[in-house]
Amino acid sequence: MLSESVFCLLTEDLLIRILDRVNSDRKSLRLVCKEFHRVESTTRKTIRILRIEFLLGLLQKYCNIESLDLSVCPRIDDGAVSVLLSHGSVNWTRRIKRLVLSRATGLGYVGLEMLIRACPLLEAVDVSHCCGYGDREASALSCAVRLKELNMDKCLGVTDIGLAKIAVGCSKLESLSLKWCLEISDLGIDLLSKKCLELKFLDVSYLKVTSESLRSIASLLKLEVFIMVGCYLVDDVGLRFLEKGCPLLKAIDVSRCNCVSPSGLLSVISGHEGLEQMDARYCLSELSAPLINGLKNLNHLNIIRINGVRVSDFILQIIGTNCKSLVELGLSKCIGVTNMGIMQVVSGCGNLKTLDLTCCRSITDVAISTIANSCPNLACLKLESCDMVTEVGLYQLGLSCLMLEELDLTDCSGVNDIALKYISRCSELVRLKLGLCTNISDIGLAHIACNCTKLTELDLYRCVRIGDDGLAALATGCNKLTMLNLSYCNRMTDTGLKCISNLGELSDLELRAIPNITSIGIKAVAINCKRLANLDLKHCEKINDSGFWALAFYAQNLLQINMSYCNVSDHVLCLLMSNLKRLQDAKLVHLTNVTVQGLELALRSCCGRIKKVKLQSSLRFSISSEILETFNARGCKIRWD
Amino acid sequence: MLFTQVTLINRILIPRIEFEMNPTGSLCANNWARSSSLVPPGNGLQTNLSLDPSSFFGVGIETPFKEINQPSPTQCVIPGESKKDVKITDQETSKLQDWDPSAMLNNLSFLEEKIHQLQDVVHMIVNKKFQPFEQPRELVTQEQQLITADLTSIIVQLISTAGSLLPSVRNTVANTSPLIGQLSQLRGINLPFGTGTSSGIQPQNNCENKLFDHSIQNDVPNKCEMEQNHNMEEHEHKDEEDMEEGENLPPGSYEILQLEKEEILAPHTHFCTICGKGFKRDANLRMHMRGHGDEYKTPAALAKPHKETGSEPKLIKRYSCPYGGCKRNKDHKKFQPLKTILCVKNHYKRTHCDKSYTCSRCHTKKFSVIADLKTHEKHCGKDKWLCSCGTTFSRKDKLFGHIALFQGHTPAIPLEENKGLAEPPDRCDAKENSTMVGSMNFCFGSNPSSENGIDNMMDVKGNIDDPINYFSSLNFEGCNFGAFNEFSQPPFEDSDSSFSFLMSGSFNYAPKSGGESCSDNL
Repeated sequence: MLSESVFCLLTEDLLIRILDRVNSDRKSLRLVCKEFHRVESTTRKTIRILRIEFLLGLLQKYCNIESLDLSVCPRIDDGAVSVLLSHGSVNWTRRIKRLVLSRATGLGYVGLEMLIRACPLLEAVDVSHCCGYGDREASALSCAVRLKELNMDKCLGVTDIGLAKIAVGCSKLESLSLKWCLEISDLGIDLLSKKCLELKFLDVSYLKVTSESLRSIASLLKLEVFIMVGCYLVDDVGLRFLEKGCPLLKAIDVSRCNCVSPSGLLSVISGHEGLEQMDARYCLSELSAPLINGLKNLNHLNIIRINGVRVSDFILQIIGTNCKSLVELGLSKCIGVTNMGIMQVVSGCGNLKTLDLTCCRSITDVAISTIANSCPNLACLKLESCDMVTEVGLYQLGLSCLMLEELDLTDCSGVNDIALKYISRCSELVRLKLGLCTNISDIGLAHIACNCTKLTELDLYRCVRIGDDGLAALATGCNKLTMLNLSYCNRMTDTGLKCISNLGELSDLELRAIPNITSIGIKAVAINCKRLANLDLKHCEKINDSGFWALAFYAQNLLQINMSYCNVSDHVLCLLMSNLKRLQDAKLVHLTNVTVQGLELALRSCCGRIKKVKLQSSLRFSISSEILETFNARGCKIRWD
Repeated sequence: MLFTQVTLINRILIPRIEFEMNPTGSLCANNWARSSSLVPPGNGLQTNLSLDPSSFFGVGIETPFKEINQPSPTQCVIPGESKKDVKITDQETSKLQDWDPSAMLNNLSFLEEKIHQLQDVVHMIVNKKFQPFEQPRELVTQEQQLITADLTSIIVQLISTAGSLLPSVRNTVANTSPLIGQLSQLRGINLPFGTGTSSGIQPQNNCENKLFDHSIQNDVPNKCEMEQNHNMEEHEHKDEEDMEEGENLPPGSYEILQLEKEEILAPHTHFCTICGKGFKRDANLRMHMRGHGDEYKTPAALAKPHKETGSEPKLIKRYSCPYGGCKRNKDHKKFQPLKTILCVKNHYKRTHCDKSYTCSRCHTKKFSVIADLKTHEKHCGKDKWLCSCGTTFSRKDKLFGHIALFQGHTPAIPLEENKGLAEPPDRCDAKENSTMVGSMNFCFGSNPSSENGIDNMMDVKGNIDDPINYFSSLNFEGCNFGAFNEFSQPPFEDSDSSFSFLMSGSFNYAPKSGGESCSDNL
């Protein structure tokens, strides 16, 4: 009573300020008192809905939301939308500016158009990975005349016609991503460049466009970011169009464009001295001398990624001496990266925050020490497969790079428990990858667990010496973990799993091929890890029906499950599939105890909300075609293994 | 009636044969001397007019029979247009419409008049023969020549009028079997003395035609002529008329010829002197003649008559349209002559005649030249690139150019093309198949030649490739294949809905297809 009266005295705007200051979980804040609840309801701008059951109620409660995310909400289809929009006074759509409909494969063009017409202020839409979307859906999208941002990645059916619809209908478009819209050709891009003159961001990755498209794109005067990954038909002729065009270009990505040569890239560089970001991953075999000279002029370059290129110490030296403001350097899989080269580049680029040295196998502790000393701000370091790196180098890293948030030591066999002890000094670590580090044991893990309390992602894939004790330490220390990969850690048992079940935030858990875990451990996880969304239990053959039964009843937030090669029966499979209302992706290969009839029944029970299923290819013709057609019609993709 | 007509014509034509026996060489020379407005023989127009020197037409021929009905194509009925269920009555009414006894009577009386005229002329000749040696020999030949000219023009008028009596006959044939009627019409064959053999004869003729052309190619080294022949073969390859637009011949450097509209519109210009059957090309006529006896089978008879004018200086000939005020009329200020008789024919039909051939697919486009219709029908239905403004384009880039040019125009997406969801796949298949068959039939009917056959294959393929054939239903109606209608019925209930019935227990929301009914379920 007393606390309630205290907050009653505060004015609304004071309460709002308080809420703004408290950056932590607004969900729990809402539960503090009525005032907080009311203020939180009125000030919330974004909402991501997990279950359709609460959708209408939530939308009515939060009348001021501007961003609605339905990407993980199953069963969003035309019917659901028509119900949402027809229910009484539809206020919630009035203020919506952003709609995230990524993977909302159940929604057709009718529903999409209804939804978009109901939101007059709509400025951003994300329909990425709606593989079934085509011109009709694009036509529905074009009704949003105020649209500024549109993501259509992997809308496989959209052709030039659909793009033309959008180009004409949404002329204010500033950001457009057409990645994997494989049907779009030069004609569509040409029209887009003529109609949407406000474009700042354009992604045409993997389209079958030619250099002609670049001629059109060059006429976009406001374009800042242009991404054309994997446009294998574009060559230097196209890049030369860009030399004279797009005066404001800041970022270009020509990764995996096989026909692009250094001279083409040079023409882009020479036309845009203000370039801030250059991606040329896996498209050049080596950097030519003129191109390296050209790099000298790019004083504003922040990010350069030249993965897969043959480099030399000289090239790295040029980069180090000229690109002083470099923040990110990607040298993944580059040939010819030596300690010397790394020392030269990092001595110039003291501001580096991200350094990717994946598969640069010849670098040793010397290079790591130099990096640690030269780049105190380093936040992300990727050293996957750098075998020569040992505790000596990582010692220096632990001393100097206290800002380090992400460290990838996958497959570094030189990493042992002592190295982990040094690393654990980087208390800001959020993501740590130790996959295939077979030399680390529970002791090393305990060091990490004690010091790196901010850790949210930990990869222990095939760390075979890790056992239950390490996991116990982890569960107490790193209680913010959301992603944990323990696949093939075959020493762990139900005891370890029970410890893990204390990680309340855990959402992704991979337990592939752990022979000793049983239904008891899984039950504990299912009951305690309320947020569990992705679970991989492939080849966990000791888990039986009771474990899956527990999952079916407790793990209500499960989004993806892999239960291939598991011993589950018809009955429990049906139960699981029908009871998990959020489930959207299930891998059901080689379920030895499941009959075709049982599988069919299970599929029927989840039809309508599931979006992806992986099935055994031998069942392709034994499963009734009616089910397959219905799945197809509802936007569910079936993958045959 | 038909029989009497044929015999009538035969009787009329008999004197003509006698005249053709005249030596031709001197005639030609006289022609040159006499008038520039006459068409001398062997000027390369043989395929349209005639090779024999007696059949030239002067400008000076009086304009006859304004009141006579032309052999007008409007009288034709396109069988495809009649709807299936009312077919029988439709046919009857159309028959009645074409059956215009007053016009026929008119025609017959005209024929009678002309026959009298002809008799007079022949009488005159006969009289002249009884007055020997009174006139110089030269004068006699000149006179004979004049008479021949008159005679020819009368005969031509006779035949064209006689031909105009025929549409009614043709329609009876057409109505008894709509498909055949359509075929013959699309082929542009007016079944001139249609005695019911219709479909059998024509393709055969076409074959002969081809054979003959081939032989010509071997025989005659004159390239120019060959080309011309080919143009004819391809049914008036469209625009020679337009092509010579830019031609800049100084006035006076060429000879201007003007045909009368009756001559232009006459379906045939070459007639068999024995049976009276008409042909468009002299070559065809010569092939036809073989059937009348062995004397016509000699290489000499089959070969193209030798050109006499080889040594003479060639004067370029250009043609004038008889329509007053037309730019192609020689009295027009900015007169632009037409190059060939074919150009004259096509120009006159396109510009000054009714567009009486309607496309059987789209039922909107109309043409006055049947070849234009055929060209259109080849592409009709392929204009699948549609703009929101209603304009259609055969090419995507043209549509996009249009959209780029006009503010607010967008490509149109066809309204409801049945996506797999809404209907079982069998239905789609049936529909597609039927479209395919329809177009095949159609195409085969229209072009029997092998060259076009390849085109047809492509047509068909195009249809298969394009699963969303908006025009399929139209095709359907046009062809009237009743049997296919049965296919297009959905064979069984919508699979989606039946499935939802099965699952209804566990569903909160109705299936996607029934968007509206959802609110009830909740």
